[in-house]
Amino acid sequence: MNIDTVKNFTVEDYQNAYKNEEISPTEITQLFLDRIHLLDPSLRAFLTIDETGALQRARELEEKKFGEAEFPPLYGIPIAIKDNICIQGLPTTCGSRILSNYHSPFDATVIEKIKKAGGIFLGKTNMDEFAMGSSTENSGFGPTRNPFDPNRVPGGSSGGSAASVAALEAPLALGSDTGGSVRQPAAFCGIVGLRPTYGRVSRYGLISFASSLDQIGTLTRSVQDSRALFSVISGQDDRDSTCAPYPPFSSSDCLPEDEIKKMKVGVAKEYFSTGIDPSITQRIQEVLNILAKEGFEVVEVSLPHTDYALEAYYIVAPAEASSNLARYDGIAYGYRCHHPLNLQDLYTRTRTTGFGKEVLRRIILGTYCLSSGYYDEFYLKGMQVRTLVKKDFEESFEKCDILLTPTTPSMPFKFGEKSHDPYQMYLTDVFTIPSAMAGIPALSLNCGYHQHLPIGLQILGAPFQEGKIFSFASFLEKILSISPPDIGSIHSKKEVL
Amino acid sequence: MGRLPETISLSEIKKVVALAKLSIPDIDLEQFFLEINDILSHFDKLNRLELKEVSPTSHISWSQPPSNPDEPREWMGGEELFSQAPAVIDQYFIVPKVVDKQEE
Repeated sequence: MNIDTVKNFTVEDYQNAYKNEEISPTEITQLFLDRIHLLDPSLRAFLTIDETGALQRARELEEKKFGEAEFPPLYGIPIAIKDNICIQGLPTTCGSRILSNYHSPFDATVIEKIKKAGGIFLGKTNMDEFAMGSSTENSGFGPTRNPFDPNRVPGGSSGGSAASVAALEAPLALGSDTGGSVRQPAAFCGIVGLRPTYGRVSRYGLISFASSLDQIGTLTRSVQDSRALFSVISGQDDRDSTCAPYPPFSSSDCLPEDEIKKMKVGVAKEYFSTGIDPSITQRIQEVLNILAKEGFEVVEVSLPHTDYALEAYYIVAPAEASSNLARYDGIAYGYRCHHPLNLQDLYTRTRTTGFGKEVLRRIILGTYCLSSGYYDEFYLKGMQVRTLVKKDFEESFEKCDILLTPTTPSMPFKFGEKSHDPYQMYLTDVFTIPSAMAGIPALSLNCGYHQHLPIGLQILGAPFQEGKIFSFASFLEKILSISPPDIGSIHSKKEVL
Repeated sequence: MGRLPETISLSEIKKVVALAKLSIPDIDLEQFFLEINDILSHFDKLNRLELKEVSPTSHISWSQPPSNPDEPREWMGGEELFSQAPAVIDQYFIVPKVVDKQEE
């Protein structure tokens, strides 16, 4: 058994191999731990590797016997978890020095669900600090590298999770998406990234950045695996009052092939304006041509407020963040500055030295937008634009079943290329932000390569229509012959500069 | 990045910084001042929209938020929670004095 044996395995393949006793959870867990030890010194996808816990869990699973009907859906599947999702007893740093010593005393709801489903946690992955970023360069512990090119970013903020799955350090991972932080790194790393409908996955145990936008999402090597993981983590939770009263996703929500071909595919002209890398536009257009040849009706729609969504997001999200991050005060947990003179000094020095620059910038911006005299000028306007963006999508879904867009306007960029100009960095999320503002589900799927770098295609659906998205994405995966990233092309420890 | 027309002045940024319980040295504040003004300059675009009749959406909600019954529940509390604190005695968080005698 080596990594090549499992490189194209889906969750279903692992399950069948387990049932036939061809492999064991301990063997598979050790395989991935060995892979992490080989690659991660250079890839730096992980902040914490829980070798002891993962192997113990694998042994515990092996001691239990399950019948066919009760076989846990994620039995023996190693999973990487973004470091803003709480696992009891493990560090949960959010990529920030202000939480570098924090160990969570409880499990997030998604963690409880994955444990019950037989999953095994390999460790916690790197991220932009408090999920604020699009490259993982804002991590307080150093950036993660893109598996396709060590000089380029993996995207962010779920860069560690995306890189780990692309490099097959883990078959599955969880990330979080506030304005694109699952989908954009999925695109940059050539894998599948799902942002569910807002409220479809419990946020209990996800450390908040912007509460009205945050959603836990899946990062996987295939659409089928995204579906499998989403089926486990979705569903109502009384501990999250923003959770939708919806049952967990079931594959019965997906469409049969003859129904898929009747789906109307919407294309919004606002997503194909200037400023997009021509290789991305060209590839998306090729995909649209293929779809037309397959008999799909491609419908042009308009989302006229797309151009205002990014600015509205960068009012609303920092405003919410300024409130959510007020709790980091050095009192009950986390970093505390040394020798505070008084309480005020404790607060201000702890926060100023504990947070990185991007977090400070957004706290200042958010505080300003909410402050007396500016609330109407900024925050109220941001919320009003959100109403318009949401309405645009509602109207477009009256004309089509799904929308196709590029996931990102640019190819994976080099380290440092955008980190000196905050607004240029913000623009990398221009295509993922509107759907987040509207709370609708969205999936990014690799649709090809340009000069060995992956290109992401985004599929948007109406609220709770993940079934349509998965159905269409699976179909597209098949006709485009999309395979998981070729791990032979992933740089190893020896090749890194 | 060159000087742009200011949306927020340096003195306003200092007030906001204090409001956010931060203390940024002047030498670093200049950079934040430039960057935040650059970001705010893009927000001006929103003024092109007619928003008078548009109701704000603070969050996406699919139903009335649930409420918990008014009953006592088990508190996780105790050692687990206090174990994370930088300074604690029994179940009290230790902090520097709140009021300086000079401020009274």
